[in-house]
Amino acid sequence: MQGTPSGGNCPVLCPVDRRTLLVFSFILAAALGQMNFTGDQVLRVLAKDEKQLSLLRDLEGLKPQKKVDFWRAPARPSLPVDMRVPFSELKEIKAYLESHGLAYSIMIKDIQVLLDEERAAMAKSRRLERSTSSFSYSSYHNLEEIYSWIDSFVTENSDIVSKIQIGNSFENRSILVLKFSTGGSRRPAIWIDTGIHSREWITHATGIWTAKKIVSEYGKNHVMTDILKAMDIFIELVTNPDGFAFTHSMNRLWRKNKSTRPGIFCIGVDLNRNWKSGFGGNGSNNNPCSETYHGPSPQSEPEVSAIVNFITAHGNFKALISIHSYSQMLMYPYGQSLKPVSNQRELYNLAKDAVKALYEVHGIQYIFGSISTTLYVASGITVDWAYDSGIKYAFSFELRDTGRYGFLLPATQIIPTAQETWMAILTIMKHTLNHPY
Amino acid sequence: MQPRRQPSPAPPPPPPPPALRPGAPLLALLLLLSLRGAAAVPEEPGQSQDAGPSRGLLQQAARAALHFFNFRAGSPSALRVLAAVQEGRAWVNPKEGCKVDLVFSTERYKAEESTFQEGEEGLGKCSARVFFKNQKPRPAINVTCTRLFEKKKQQQEDYLLYKQMKRLKAPLDGVSIPDSHGHIDPSLRPVWDLAFLGSSYVMWEKTTQSLHYYLAQLTGVKQWKTDDDEIDFDYTVLLHEFSTQEIIPCRIHLVWYPGKQLKVKYHCQELQTPEASGTEEGSAVAPTKLSNF
Repeated sequence: MQGTPSGGNCPVLCPVDRRTLLVFSFILAAALGQMNFTGDQVLRVLAKDEKQLSLLRDLEGLKPQKKVDFWRAPARPSLPVDMRVPFSELKEIKAYLESHGLAYSIMIKDIQVLLDEERAAMAKSRRLERSTSSFSYSSYHNLEEIYSWIDSFVTENSDIVSKIQIGNSFENRSILVLKFSTGGSRRPAIWIDTGIHSREWITHATGIWTAKKIVSEYGKNHVMTDILKAMDIFIELVTNPDGFAFTHSMNRLWRKNKSTRPGIFCIGVDLNRNWKSGFGGNGSNNNPCSETYHGPSPQSEPEVSAIVNFITAHGNFKALISIHSYSQMLMYPYGQSLKPVSNQRELYNLAKDAVKALYEVHGIQYIFGSISTTLYVASGITVDWAYDSGIKYAFSFELRDTGRYGFLLPATQIIPTAQETWMAILTIMKHTLNHPY
Repeated sequence: MQPRRQPSPAPPPPPPPPALRPGAPLLALLLLLSLRGAAAVPEEPGQSQDAGPSRGLLQQAARAALHFFNFRAGSPSALRVLAAVQEGRAWVNPKEGCKVDLVFSTERYKAEESTFQEGEEGLGKCSARVFFKNQKPRPAINVTCTRLFEKKKQQQEDYLLYKQMKRLKAPLDGVSIPDSHGHIDPSLRPVWDLAFLGSSYVMWEKTTQSLHYYLAQLTGVKQWKTDDDEIDFDYTVLLHEFSTQEIIPCRIHLVWYPGKQLKVKYHCQELQTPEASGTEEGSAVAPTKLSNF
């Protein structure tokens, strides 16, 4: 059996594009009140072998009004098949699947509900409150809410905060950075990024809380005040906006960005394998379907090149902190090899102090060390690039927890996590301030 | 807040791995790693050592042993998670694999939403021997653990869970546990615990020296039958695989009754590749051979 998706002369990329097009056409049609999808479901079927696959393809041969609508067509046994089933056909189609032993799960329970929610969300985002005091720091937010919060935050703290757009994502969303500065010109700077892996929701939430903490501590806490008197801080909250939007709309556990390339069926590049340091080495994958796919070339991804260009043009960054979840670790380079960095002893001691400060908040234990010896070997990563670019204090966090909830960390843990992480970040920033180079 | 877990104390620097020494014999190599016993509380709470490869192997072994223990105990109310490895040794034979003896502490899984679990039951302690066959899954495991609470109480808790499950009649179609925000509806907690129990079997079988798993989410319930005595549960979960970061969907079918050995069958989806057709992972029955399942 050839592995071509059904749909005749449709190129390999098509099913993916088609789904996006379909969703948009549904929204449009529903908006025009012309089509109703109430009760329609999207089923995901796992076909075990070619025999089961052909059973699925048989569904396409049914009469037009009975037809299921493949969002992801039957291709190979190892690939999931997504199909929209009209409400009137649900019982029959499910019976068909069950009688043939085809395992399925319900991806979308009621398409109309999803469309209504999308429409309501879009309407709501236009009415979002223009104030950060009503923003809940102990909840998870979507992209529109975060971008709206950024605008309010900048407005309310315009004396020290500004917003910079450093580029556009693959799907053309703005890539935004918050700048915290009390003046000067191109002061030595600290970089913090969160959300480079979109499913790590606790990181965006921590970043937002941290931004708020910086402005509230400035003028009150002498360490923070000293730091901002001499240095600037840059925070990129949503480092992977396309992936993040996708975790809200379709796949909560999406990690990569959403870039596509002609002829390649799978979507997305792991943004934390796309940097120009040990690119393509161990701990990254050249299979586009892999979660650690490094992409076709270093910095090929707009989300990465935006940061590279920004940091390089600035030229005066002294520390870089890249925040991930989960595993409860604080690490420094290298990820690409076991070779220690030249100031390994200093970084070890700094990490040790930071972890101790973190522990003292809520008793949460982090382990620390170089990435390759603490977590695993990984190539083409952010902190390796930062270090090789001359940024001596380059750290990577893996926030809570250690696997009990993993990526789906309950919102009740947002503030405690942010509070303890803050103490570690402050430790690193203070050390950077006191060790100019 | 009082810290609950003892961090592993700093080990002495390990000897250089034999493989790096030129001319090392290819016969069975003995790599002895020992940690100081952790009976004493370390001087500086929160202190961690610079982690080395030995720590990773011991963690692997502890996880595998715990998955196996949870499965074999067959008790959704007595599930455990790893607290800390306290001592361990490993023997590496490049041809056969690696054997790990270890002692570790556990705490109750009890998936609460609070940031801190109060340890009324205290920490359990386990000792295990784990044998990883050269990068092959399904490590051989011998493990014993001290009780977290007494047997009668455990049986009562299981039976309580069982009764709660029998009463659940809501169609569980389209349910995601936890939801995107990490929330688990209290009425669905028993379903989650049972799903975790079945997943433990799968995660044990899939663990190798270098791959380990966490249960990320329950994404679908195909069947939830409670009309017979037993709970017949057919569901899909997503496993998070380290260090590949892959999300592995698995279809699991289990049958459970309090006090009886859990029966499990499963099928996990393999990594998509643009070229290869992907190998199939077979379903497996529980070691206590149940022919009519």
